[in-house]
Amino acid sequence: MLEKTLTALITVLAGIGAALLLYWVLNKISELLPEKYEERLKPWFYILPAYLAIAIFVIYPAVQTFIYSFKTKVGFPAETWTGLDNYSNLLSSDAFRQTLLNTLLWILFVPVTVVILGLLVALLADRLATRGENAVKTLIFMPMAISMVGAATVWGLVYDYRPPGRPQVGILNGIVDALGGDPIAWLQENTLHFNSFLLMVMLLWMNVGFAMVLLSAAVKGVPTETLEAARIDGAGERQVYFRVVLPQIKGTIVTVFITVLIGVMKVFDIVFVMTNGNFNTNIIGNEFYLQFFNNNNQGAAAAIAVMLMLAVIPIMIYQVRTFRAEEAGR
Amino acid sequence: MLQRGTRRKMAATAAAATLALTAAACGGDDSSGSDDGGAVTIWMSLDATVVEGLQKQIDIAAKEAGIEVKIERVDGIDKLIKTKIQAGDTPDIALLPQPGVVASVVELGAAFPLDDVLDTASLEETMVAGALDAGKVDDELYGLLVSMNVKSLIFYPKKAFEEAGYAPPESLDELTELADQIKSDGGTPWCLTMESGDATGWVATDWMEDLVMRYGGVDAYNDWVTHDLPFTDPVVKEAAAYFEDVALTEGNVLGGQRSITATPFTEAAKPMFDEGKPGCWLLKQGSFFTGPDFLPEDVYANLDDELGVTAFPPVEAGGENPVMGGGDLAVLMNDSEDAKTAMNLLATADIGNDAAPVSSFLSPHTDFDTSLYPNETSKSIAQVAYDSTAFLFDGSDSMPAEVGAGSFWKEMTAWLNGDEDIDTALQNIDDSWPSS
Repeated sequence: MLEKTLTALITVLAGIGAALLLYWVLNKISELLPEKYEERLKPWFYILPAYLAIAIFVIYPAVQTFIYSFKTKVGFPAETWTGLDNYSNLLSSDAFRQTLLNTLLWILFVPVTVVILGLLVALLADRLATRGENAVKTLIFMPMAISMVGAATVWGLVYDYRPPGRPQVGILNGIVDALGGDPIAWLQENTLHFNSFLLMVMLLWMNVGFAMVLLSAAVKGVPTETLEAARIDGAGERQVYFRVVLPQIKGTIVTVFITVLIGVMKVFDIVFVMTNGNFNTNIIGNEFYLQFFNNNNQGAAAAIAVMLMLAVIPIMIYQVRTFRAEEAGR
Repeated sequence: MLQRGTRRKMAATAAAATLALTAAACGGDDSSGSDDGGAVTIWMSLDATVVEGLQKQIDIAAKEAGIEVKIERVDGIDKLIKTKIQAGDTPDIALLPQPGVVASVVELGAAFPLDDVLDTASLEETMVAGALDAGKVDDELYGLLVSMNVKSLIFYPKKAFEEAGYAPPESLDELTELADQIKSDGGTPWCLTMESGDATGWVATDWMEDLVMRYGGVDAYNDWVTHDLPFTDPVVKEAAAYFEDVALTEGNVLGGQRSITATPFTEAAKPMFDEGKPGCWLLKQGSFFTGPDFLPEDVYANLDDELGVTAFPPVEAGGENPVMGGGDLAVLMNDSEDAKTAMNLLATADIGNDAAPVSSFLSPHTDFDTSLYPNETSKSIAQVAYDSTAFLFDGSDSMPAEVGAGSFWKEMTAWLNGDEDIDTALQNIDDSWPSS
């Protein structure tokens, strides 16, 4: 233990020391330049390490992944080019198409619902007295602080199933049982992707708090004069919300929506822990993990990652644009 | 059997990890065996109590032989050993949990054949039938089975079972008859549950393996594990048909079809000991299921009186009777005389004398003193292996991970959940077998 603590301490000190040293050296180098260039180039010297880090840890792996997606047996002696095989094999398999469909359902359902629920809580809590508001917000924010796997344990108990006639451990089946019904195997029931939606509920539970905090701050930031002016002009409360408040927090709504959306596209742990994609609940993040770590099929895994990247890029561009437009408008 | 889940996953990630960055995984104990001259080092990942017991016996035997032997307990040896081989830092002997790992160590050129080291002729006679075959790579012996566990077992609630006048079945047909008898007496025969988080499916693959080795015999089973016999072969279909009959016949399983995939596998045994009448009567599981995690407290406390155990029966009474199991195979990684001597010590039946009474250790030697087992249950379980005609390792562990810990689990689960029929499932597994 002591040894580990010491190691950690030394690592931290050495890391910070090295960073300080690096910037000191860069500073010295820039000072060696003629004064005219020094002022112009110094910012570049300072930002250089960050750009280097991005190049090494983001751009290089992304390019590498792209290349791997056209290969098979990556990392093995038999590594060869296979052209588009990884893509066509995936896209022609029924299981993968179901996986894509499930992912699409997640994308369509979760971000919108998170924003709506988050907004609802933010607006309603805003109406409460301070103490009530704080209590409500704390409760709703709390799941955010729980790790995904911890949440899965909690929800495992919610959806737990025992055969009819056995004592039910799960909350939902406990209720069903008390009402005299037969227990339902929640996570195994995949008619109309019912079980996928049950898994989505877990992500809602974890993300509504996040949305609420940001949206609530935005709602509070709306100048009261605009609300008063609207009311004086005879606007009803509903009109005040939809015509005055919402347009003023649109930027935050878009940010929350996109953050959750990108999170949903990458979601993995919930499905992995709860069903591992069985019972037709598979999604793209879990499929990537299976291909990479379970099947040792790095080519297919890379192809999935590339498809995911391609799907995320337009969203990111949109987000950056809105952000810039907003900054410009300020 | 969370242990099993992690072990499988370790095997699955092993290659990826080695590939990614081997050095990072090394950490921990860096003491090397081969270079400190005197003592022979043995690495194993068995339970601490087993390791202690083995060390005690080996100390006695080593003193007589004039060598020094040191056992080191390491975590996840199946993964560790590959990284250590690449680092050139290996023990003299390693106990590896699967034939597949032994084969990959041999492939890396790190193991020495045992055919001339051990007295294989006499071991052939005294060890569980087929135990030596399990350690062979290309017809040469590389892995010596030191400890074993047994999976082809049926558990039942002893008291109620005897009261009802039932007898342990001697053949698969008798097993079906017994189940029908239980049904006509108003009971539910099978306790079959398999939910196991991200490893859901292994209960079903264990069933399939047991049935394939019974219907096809040892050779067909080994061919099937290496895909020389496809998943769509009639033998596999015959096995699946028997399993389908057990699992999906109305009234056969406690809670019906949905309960199979939805109920945690850990819960399977508990209904057997319901107040009054057992909720279900028969459970096929491995020897680990006699542990305290899987049984009601009072049953665990009176194991011998409460829990009955018998072999998963052969096709014909008295016929070919293979048994499925697992175990740890000792591999020689240094051909010094001392290491060879130590290998011979590991090959004796007495080596388990101190480990057996205090742990779940089962000896693969049929001449092992069975009175040393801590209870009748362990004794009966060991006897199942001693009476068998062949000891075969869990086949899915030896299949490529995308099948053995992937499609085989997933397709069996989808089939039992009612999402697809068995022919589709078998075809999908067969299609998922990697091409080279």
